[in-house]
Amino acid sequence: MIRLNKVSKTYRTDKVETLAVKEIDLHVKKGEFVAMMGPSGCGKSTLLNLIGLLDRPGEGSIEVEGIPITRYRDKQVAKLRNSTFGFIFQSFHLIPDLRVIDNVELPLLYRSMPAGERRRLAREALEKVGLGARMDHFPNQLSGGQQQRVAIARAIVGQPQVLLADEPTGNLDSKMGAEVMDILLGLNAEGTTVVMVTHDEHEARRTSRIVRVFDGQLVA
Amino acid sequence: MLRNYLLTAWKVFMRRKLFTAINLVCIVLTLVVLMVVTSLLETAFRPSGVEGRSERFLQIVMMRMDSHDGNSVSTTPLGYKLIEKFLKPMPGVERVAAATLPSGAAVYQGERVSEMQMRRVDADYWKILDFTLLAGRLPNAADDAAGRMIAVLNATTAQRLFPGQPAAAVGQHIDVGGQNFEVVGVVEDAMHVNAFADIWAPISTFASSDYRNELTGMFVALILAERSADLPRIQRQVEQIAKGVVQADPKKWKTTRFWADSKLDLFARMTVGGNEKLDSGAGLLLALIAAAMLLFMLLPALNLVNLNTGRIMERRVEIGVRKAFGATSSQLALQLVVENVLLCLAGGLIALAATAGLLAWLEHIQLINYMRYDLSLAVFGWGMLIATVFGLLSGVLPAWKMSRLDPVHALKGAA
Repeated sequence: MIRLNKVSKTYRTDKVETLAVKEIDLHVKKGEFVAMMGPSGCGKSTLLNLIGLLDRPGEGSIEVEGIPITRYRDKQVAKLRNSTFGFIFQSFHLIPDLRVIDNVELPLLYRSMPAGERRRLAREALEKVGLGARMDHFPNQLSGGQQQRVAIARAIVGQPQVLLADEPTGNLDSKMGAEVMDILLGLNAEGTTVVMVTHDEHEARRTSRIVRVFDGQLVA
Repeated sequence: MLRNYLLTAWKVFMRRKLFTAINLVCIVLTLVVLMVVTSLLETAFRPSGVEGRSERFLQIVMMRMDSHDGNSVSTTPLGYKLIEKFLKPMPGVERVAAATLPSGAAVYQGERVSEMQMRRVDADYWKILDFTLLAGRLPNAADDAAGRMIAVLNATTAQRLFPGQPAAAVGQHIDVGGQNFEVVGVVEDAMHVNAFADIWAPISTFASSDYRNELTGMFVALILAERSADLPRIQRQVEQIAKGVVQADPKKWKTTRFWADSKLDLFARMTVGGNEKLDSGAGLLLALIAAAMLLFMLLPALNLVNLNTGRIMERRVEIGVRKAFGATSSQLALQLVVENVLLCLAGGLIALAATAGLLAWLEHIQLINYMRYDLSLAVFGWGMLIATVFGLLSGVLPAWKMSRLDPVHALKGAA
């Protein structure tokens, strides 16, 4: 599904150069649920951003479904992100000014799709995460767990092949975290590939593969 | 997508009410000034009111004579003889009128003396301009031929001299500079360049008939074409006629030039074009006006650029999220520009209402005598266009800058 070949990423500021990811080879297979673990600052999120095409590697190449995207223009990458990936963030990153249903619709805005169809899919996605009754609420009217479920609905509304979750339970209590984890596992069971960054060993053990990152490199 | 843009824009504006209000005040102040200017230009140059036929009439206000040695130039209004002998017989025009420029005249009423602006005009003048007759009648060719001592007053003058209804002035007598006139008509006040006056009397009421023999003098000519499409031909005809005019002192003056101008051409000739050639400089004038308006918008636009950059920076997360879910830089830039243009259009509507109020006030205090301001559909259209340009001017740069934010950094900025 996604293959990283000798991928490195360096962040440069005026005086400091930080090698965040060093020559990583990683293959995420279709239908897998991969948990990425490691200490803070080890490069997990950078790796996730590279997988999700939010960032470009400094060296090495990334293939999505066997197609190298190194030479893709920004517009092509945006289109590929829209069709292939769904993102779930630790801080939810919902747009506070928009209602829940409008937040969920967001990825579909960048597809050529009638408004009615967008609305229908958004409603279905919200029902799937158990928030069918909260469509007209605003994010700040929901609990943290509910907000993350809205974020999951937003991530899956476009029926992406891959879900990328950056510590999706990091801001939730254990009960809500477990609920979110159950939803992710359910989606994976339906065939969606999931890559998740987590610090929680217990959650990681529920996935199909654990990838450990240390100092910008994969460790066995 | 547009609905989402509008919804987001509305929410963003409502979230930071003070910020939005500051933006709006900045926009409204700028647009009010520009709309007032636009309204004045519209009133001055658009065919309306008494000059409703101005799209098919031309005026000759000045003539220029150059000496043989090229060192001496004389610029003067036309003489009646020039109009009567050279312009009135012109083929292919509907009619040609002669009128003096307005000049001060003392009106005596018992002990009271009023200073008025008076024009002497021929009967064709009343047929080219569309005065609204409030009472009585307008002078005709028979009055001209008979040299009848009659006068027409505008409403304000009639009210000042003979308080009451306009009809009360009709039949009354006024003494203007020692001449006695019977008031035969009262017309609505008019400010337009060819119509401005307090009192009108036939040309034939001049105390002396010397004017009939003068090629230079105090007259302007109005030429009414049958169709507006004829105007360029008439302008060329007039150019040729000017070349054939032999001045009273041909030894001194080598060439005579005058131009038949539209209202805009006349203004352009007086301000930027000069009276040396057929081209009045109207194109240059319009370009200068457009440049001045753009320049006037630039400073508040730069201010808005700063405000907008701040406003958009607060939305880095949203930009990051939208990018993560597939928005391209151009889609985001468009969204941010749409938001800014919307704000400017809202400001434009407020400015339009404020402009209407300001113009009504200016009209009420009569800053310029008889000035009527018109906030027409055209001004509305121009106002909205100016608002859109202003929105684009102040929105494109921050939108472009923000749309190019790296999504990872944008998302981190929020965390």
